[in-house]
Amino acid sequence: MTTRERAAERTRGRSRASTTPASRRTWRQSRARVVSQREYGASFRWLELELPGEFVAPVAGQFVQLLLEFPSPVLLPRPMSVASARRVRGRLRVGFLYAAVGAGTRALAELPPGASVSVTGPLGRGYPLHELGSPVLIAGGRGVAPLLMAAESLARTHRRCEFVFGARSAGLLVGLAEARARLARARGRLHLATDDGSRGFHGDVVALLAKLAPKLEAPLVIHACGPHGMLAAVARWAMANGARAHLAMESVMACGTGVCRGCPLPRSTEARARVLAESGADAAAGPPAALRGNPDWAMCCTDGPVFEARDLDWERVE
Amino acid sequence: MSHVRAKRAPIAPERVDLSVQVGSLVLRNPILTASGTFGYGDEYAHVVDLATIGGVVTKTVTVKPRAGNAPQRVAETAAGMLNSIGLENVGLERFRDEKLPRLRSLAATVIASIGGETPEELETLLRALGREPGVGAFEVNFSCPNVAAGGARYWADPARLERTLAQLKPLTDRPLIAKLSPDVTDIRETACACERGGADALTAVNTFVGMAIDLDGMRSRLGKATGGLSGPAIKPLALARCWEAAGAVRIPVLGSGGILSGRDALEFMAAGATAVQVGTATFVEPEASTRVLAEMRAWLAANGIARVVDLVGTFRADPAQAELSPARNGERT
Repeated sequence: MTTRERAAERTRGRSRASTTPASRRTWRQSRARVVSQREYGASFRWLELELPGEFVAPVAGQFVQLLLEFPSPVLLPRPMSVASARRVRGRLRVGFLYAAVGAGTRALAELPPGASVSVTGPLGRGYPLHELGSPVLIAGGRGVAPLLMAAESLARTHRRCEFVFGARSAGLLVGLAEARARLARARGRLHLATDDGSRGFHGDVVALLAKLAPKLEAPLVIHACGPHGMLAAVARWAMANGARAHLAMESVMACGTGVCRGCPLPRSTEARARVLAESGADAAAGPPAALRGNPDWAMCCTDGPVFEARDLDWERVE
Repeated sequence: MSHVRAKRAPIAPERVDLSVQVGSLVLRNPILTASGTFGYGDEYAHVVDLATIGGVVTKTVTVKPRAGNAPQRVAETAAGMLNSIGLENVGLERFRDEKLPRLRSLAATVIASIGGETPEELETLLRALGREPGVGAFEVNFSCPNVAAGGARYWADPARLERTLAQLKPLTDRPLIAKLSPDVTDIRETACACERGGADALTAVNTFVGMAIDLDGMRSRLGKATGGLSGPAIKPLALARCWEAAGAVRIPVLGSGGILSGRDALEFMAAGATAVQVGTATFVEPEASTRVLAEMRAWLAANGIARVVDLVGTFRADPAQAELSPARNGERT
């Protein structure tokens, strides 16, 4: 069958398979107001922005492109993982945990309450928190941001979770109080790990996960975010132990919307085969976004940033 | 400096005629989106009314699908960005069967960008697409800086450009636009070669070859050593190349390079561009093209210019200053 025939086939099948929501692309660029910024320890900051009520609320794992107003020391917006989202008097409050490390984030840190920035979002695909199984959230360092939000979402649906939080040392467990507060509401359990043993389990999150897993009801569904090395270790553990794992990745980005093709991540051999098999699949009736298009590279911004463990080639993830 | 810039009474913005002509293709206004910055149009259709801008230049399509380069593909630099995407695209078959039908439904004027490693590959593309409905014109990407074969260096040969365009011309009844690299000794030579070969218009210019080194790892900030530089950093450079090219040929020139505002766009048009392309600005602001259009209209209205075409090429260098004055500048009207 040629792709033209396949396209015709899909057009015929579209009416019965109209599963894709009409709001497939819901992102917008909006002006946002800085509500507050506060020090979070270890040079991290918590930023709270207010957005118009029409702005679609991000889900855990999604991100926005945050752009400073003119004159800005940087040209491009910066992808920022969302750490909280709630409605306040008809408007949307969105929280971010970030470190002021570059010219852009340092300028962001200077912004006082009332200052405005531009926000494009929500972008990307978030964690599939509805997936059945025992939820285990795993955070490494500042990767805790989307998982704070995931814990809150699970709490709203009265699902209990295990929250594994690791860092190099106790001081780098940023947002710990925040995590504790949310987990208390959600009846979730917090498990801490530090590489140097200064707090909680002495070792990394994967070693702690291996220790916890036998006590949890299978199957486990892991949602993780952190340094790519940690995510690769979590992904390998999950694949070796029959658990599903969804990992939130990071990349340098330009557009954040899929057009510039600037944020590739290597697909696994298995994912490559599935992409080729589905090649030509239509967006409205076909497989999920992660399985469309380029067989070699997935785009972090639109295929992710959350990927299932078996979809990426962890040997080649940088 | 010229008759157009003499003080005129402002007019109502809606009275400004923004239409321009590129070969046989009439554009409702001069604002196009640059190839590789707007996908296949539908990615931004929910935020940009594609019926309001002049047109969409699609991501370059090649005969075979291309996976693109290994990361990193983008790096921000001072007032600009480097990219090394490597012409990632779905390939001819899927472009024709999936992307084109969707493009036709978008109410946009579509300019399809095609790229090839050889003249024969470009022929294959135009044989397949040259008479497809829904394509207003073709832009031939003679200037990708990020591919091993068939990139800007290969196509910088004037004789090759002329010969290839002459081969391509009979394969379509739509205008052929040649997109030029700025990284040549004299862009007037490649511009004139394209005109001789039968190009209906030129795009000046593609990205400039650039690089950035991460000193900590002593490695490129891109997956490859070099990439293409775009953004406001290149606007003055691109403007000069556009002016040189426009002065050397009689066919229309589409200006491109670092356009962020209506005034930027108008500078290119004053320098001789018939239309302009907005690229990197879209990454910063998805609705940049429509804002640039609104700013252009407002400026023309405030300056009492009723037709945008009256502004095209009105900048004239003082002869005493014009050491680089384009060879045939005086011949343009």
